[in-house]
Amino acid sequence: MSEFAANETDYEVVEGEPPELLGRNLNSAGHLLASATAFFFLAFIFAYFYLRSLNNAGLWHPKHVTPPTTFGTLVMALTVLSAILVRLGLADQRAGRRSEWRLKAAVGLAAGVGVVVLQVVEWATMGFGPADGGYASVFFGWTAFNLLFIVGTLFWLQNLLATAIRYRNVPVGGKPTPGHASGDPGRPGHDVADPLSLVRPGLEALSFYWTFLAGLGVLAWVVLYLA
Amino acid sequence: MSATAVEIRPPVWRRLIGFNAITGVIFGIIGYYLGWFLGHHITGKSIAFFADIDQNDLSVLLGYFFGVSGFLIGLGFGVYPWARLRGYPPSLREKETQGTSRYFGLCTDHKVVGIQYLIGIGLFFFIGGLNAMLIRVELLRPASQVFPAGQYLTLVGMHGTMMMGMMTSGILGPFANYFVPLMIGARRMAFPRIESLTFWLLMAAGAVLTTTIFFGGFPTGWTGYEPLNSQANTGMDSYLVFFALVGVSMCLLGLNMLATIITMRAPGLTWSRLPIFCWAVVSTSILNLLAAPVLIAVLGMAILDRTAQTTFFNPQGGGSPYLYQNLFWVFGHPEVYILALPGMGIVLELLPVFARKPLWGYRLAVSGLLGVTLLSWLVWQHHLFVSGINSDLRPFYMLSTELISIPTGFTFLCGLMTLWRGQIRFTVPLLFCLAWFFNFLIGGLSGVFLSDVPSDVTTHGSFFSMAHFHYTIMGGLVFAFFAAIYYWSPKMFGYTLNERLGKIHFWVMFISFNSTFAPLFAVGFLGQPRRTVTYAHNLQFLNDWVSVSAFVLGLSMLVFLYNFVYSLLFARIRAPQNPWSSLSLEWQLPSPVPVHNFDRIPVITGDPYDYGNPSPGAIPATAPAGGSS
Amino acid sequence: MSAQPAAAGSSPAHGRRFLAAWIVLSAILTPVVAFFLGPAIPPGNGSVEATGQVFDNEVLVAVSTPVCVFVVLFLGYALVSFRSRTAEIVDGPPLRGDMRIQIAWMIVTGATVLGLAAFGTYELLQGGAGGGQGPNAAFLPAGHNHALDVQVIGQQWEFTYRYPTFGGLETPQLVLPANTLIRLHVTSLDAVHSFWAYQLGVKADANPGTDNVVYVQTKGARSFDIRCAELCGLWHGYMFDTGQVVDQGRFTAWAKQQQTYFTPVARYLPPYATTYMPDPQRRAG
Ligand SMILES: [Cu+2]
Repeated sequence: MSEFAANETDYEVVEGEPPELLGRNLNSAGHLLASATAFFFLAFIFAYFYLRSLNNAGLWHPKHVTPPTTFGTLVMALTVLSAILVRLGLADQRAGRRSEWRLKAAVGLAAGVGVVVLQVVEWATMGFGPADGGYASVFFGWTAFNLLFIVGTLFWLQNLLATAIRYRNVPVGGKPTPGHASGDPGRPGHDVADPLSLVRPGLEALSFYWTFLAGLGVLAWVVLYLA
Repeated sequence: MSATAVEIRPPVWRRLIGFNAITGVIFGIIGYYLGWFLGHHITGKSIAFFADIDQNDLSVLLGYFFGVSGFLIGLGFGVYPWARLRGYPPSLREKETQGTSRYFGLCTDHKVVGIQYLIGIGLFFFIGGLNAMLIRVELLRPASQVFPAGQYLTLVGMHGTMMMGMMTSGILGPFANYFVPLMIGARRMAFPRIESLTFWLLMAAGAVLTTTIFFGGFPTGWTGYEPLNSQANTGMDSYLVFFALVGVSMCLLGLNMLATIITMRAPGLTWSRLPIFCWAVVSTSILNLLAAPVLIAVLGMAILDRTAQTTFFNPQGGGSPYLYQNLFWVFGHPEVYILALPGMGIVLELLPVFARKPLWGYRLAVSGLLGVTLLSWLVWQHHLFVSGINSDLRPFYMLSTELISIPTGFTFLCGLMTLWRGQIRFTVPLLFCLAWFFNFLIGGLSGVFLSDVPSDVTTHGSFFSMAHFHYTIMGGLVFAFFAAIYYWSPKMFGYTLNERLGKIHFWVMFISFNSTFAPLFAVGFLGQPRRTVTYAHNLQFLNDWVSVSAFVLGLSMLVFLYNFVYSLLFARIRAPQNPWSSLSLEWQLPSPVPVHNFDRIPVITGDPYDYGNPSPGAIPATAPAGGSS
Repeated sequence: MSAQPAAAGSSPAHGRRFLAAWIVLSAILTPVVAFFLGPAIPPGNGSVEATGQVFDNEVLVAVSTPVCVFVVLFLGYALVSFRSRTAEIVDGPPLRGDMRIQIAWMIVTGATVLGLAAFGTYELLQGGAGGGQGPNAAFLPAGHNHALDVQVIGQQWEFTYRYPTFGGLETPQLVLPANTLIRLHVTSLDAVHSFWAYQLGVKADANPGTDNVVYVQTKGARSFDIRCAELCGLWHGYMFDTGQVVDQGRFTAWAKQQQTYFTPVARYLPPYATTYMPDPQRRAG
């Protein structure tokens, strides 16, 4: 392990740290974030089954509360599609097919934006409101918070894509011009020598989390529309 | 190694309006009014869901949302996402310079964040404590006298919420942020910007809760039970936003700590060599990470109930108040272990240093901490023994609750056996640790009464349970907090706290604490419920005794404050690098610790408890001190 | 830094000495606590449930005493015997654990915990021990088929009571017959309240939309204190009352009289039901 303790200037990545550290951090963060997300939605799953079993005042699921299954299926399918595209994009990225991965990520991002749009349209047209009983409450709450998580993840995807696009002409391992350092504009030197090397760890973690979230989307679809 | 130590100091006015606390506050206020205006605009349009509310919750909530966002942007948290949005790669470090100004903004140095936490949480602890004093003033007489009923409930609610919310990070915030990287031989936390965010979110949360007084306060206490929650006026929104922000902060803090300890341990620092305090941080962080999302979810439902007219908790509309109680305590019980576990960690970490012996039964202690972590998920309905929920499951919850005393007992055994045949030195931190044992013992034993259903029928919701959790939280967490601050001050500030004043502080605090809360067990058994502004006349003597003791307890905090300010700002006696002769890694660094902690990452060859070993091979011998300052 | 370890084994009898002291002290203190402090712990003798709770508390303080003695005595013993007596820092012996002690500790704590849980469950089986049990009470006392039904309705900020066997009459006073098994149905019209009849050893949360059943077997005639034990809004602190347990004859007479008062207003009230669903209230507290 002595090489770990060697002269830090050997590493031209983030702040003289070993290059795999960012990947390990993001990887563990992705898993931890997924477990936290699971517990968040567990509350809604619990609410669903709990209120359904109680059916207080007979208002669990009044007759007119019928969720539009077409919309729901579309939302679910687009989420899954986007997750698959990001997975494939990751494979491209690993294989060094840079323009292919950017294309897949862009389409995946578009699909994700489609999810957001469709979800909002569904709320506006679905014929029942949040006040229409237990099911309606869970439906509204679950889809709304799910959308928040989706938007956050899309922001992450967009970040990675934007970095890949911005440095598309820099060869792998190449250095950008000084002044491209981000964060603190007042900083004299650039602290990131190889920006493209930072895309991969982010993409690995994102891909895991996005797949997980798509899985949650399928679960939501099964519970809210099919069960 | 401070290569770029070229200090560029812009003029004062430029420094004042840069991204810092001042801009944060200004942006926060602007954001609040923006959201407030937006909320009125939306309801003015009479969208059906929002229409039938005579007070505009939406406006207040949007105000808070935009206010907090503005505050964070003003602090500089918008810079990074904005850069990423445009495709610039991540940079790790921000404002890692010297000087006081870094304490008033986004700083990614974990040591700065630790001290920010210490001062920031101390501030809100002071406000919460002041509320407690006012509560005890009111309870000097059996009938309502100083405060009207509504104000009294707000005081109770603010005290409880402030303490339960802020003190979740009471030890993790200051001490884990500061010392976990040092103990594991790292230069930083895994996500330094998130680390800073957790702190500033907590400050925003505290400010939000304090502003509840402008909206009429809230009547629910810290538990925020529905449907009272939905009934309450807009002051309730402050509670909801406060706790949601605290939840986000807790969750991110846990995530960051776990990621750091998982990935950034120095070479050789295997899991079985990890300092026990870090194990306590791991177990607490697991609870933080997983319990806080449930809290955020349940508060989200409450917010939807109050604004969008969903009926999660409204039985007339197909919901159930039980749903709130279940979900709240699914969070709420791990939450109390979030408050207890760091204290155990501190005590077990400090005892070896002052008994000059290795930690006895390291593996047992670790399994104790992890056992508590696991079991804390299985006990939540013991808060609901008389509520009518799942009455046939009560034997299970009784068993699981009492089972927790087994892993808790492990930590007791390990701590006590560490003292056995040691060379005990009575320093101020050790005194606080010993008091922790006594207090937590009483807290734990009284917990057995509450976990036993027949006994719980009387004690539930009475001052008995209130005394119980003050023994575990104040007697546990706060005593451990003081042990930690007396122990680590020399490293954090480079100055020693006055020992004589420390001992005075300890004895006054220990005696007045017990004198305050021990009689409350009797008060509870004699039939006084919590959170009532009135009580039976025959309980006045006990209540007066408690109030006077509580005032002395409050004074003991002032003794500490005096000691803290006097020692650090006026006496300024330089502390030696390792005043306690501890073998732990953080003490091998110079005081104050250089910005990048270690010039060379140390290689760890043993655990930090190698006391009494005639041939010490481990840490101090091989750990090179960083030392460019 | 780390000087020589202190001469180990200077007094190897520490362990035995401590254990002996613990056993002797516990043997003295436990009966004292159990038989003098125990019976003094409330809630007293107002009902069969209350008496059961007192017994429960007695057992719990008795079990707690040796535990408490162990830790406090241990701390005291260690602090006196193992105090460092030198100015310079001396290390203690490098003891890192002892499997026998760990296993013994696990066995003792485990057995204590299981014993306590079994005891608590047994006590709970005696008709629910006075705690609210929800609509489908799990633990039924003997003769529960013949229990007298009384409904407790929590509302902001008072309790009212309905007697289904007396025409569903509603009254603001709680009067119960002596030496009778009562089945209380606790519910709420608004926020969560908690019905606490202190001397009867009864506590049951009042949740809107829920019928929280609790059994109580009254003893002799007496009065008892009622308080709301769950924060229910502005005037929570004033939600207290006094109830009466009276002889069977007086109870019947009282109920008949109440029924005549009640008849004219009965049609303005909803008929007796286990739960009521009034329109949701907003902004009441
Ligand atoms: Cu009440």
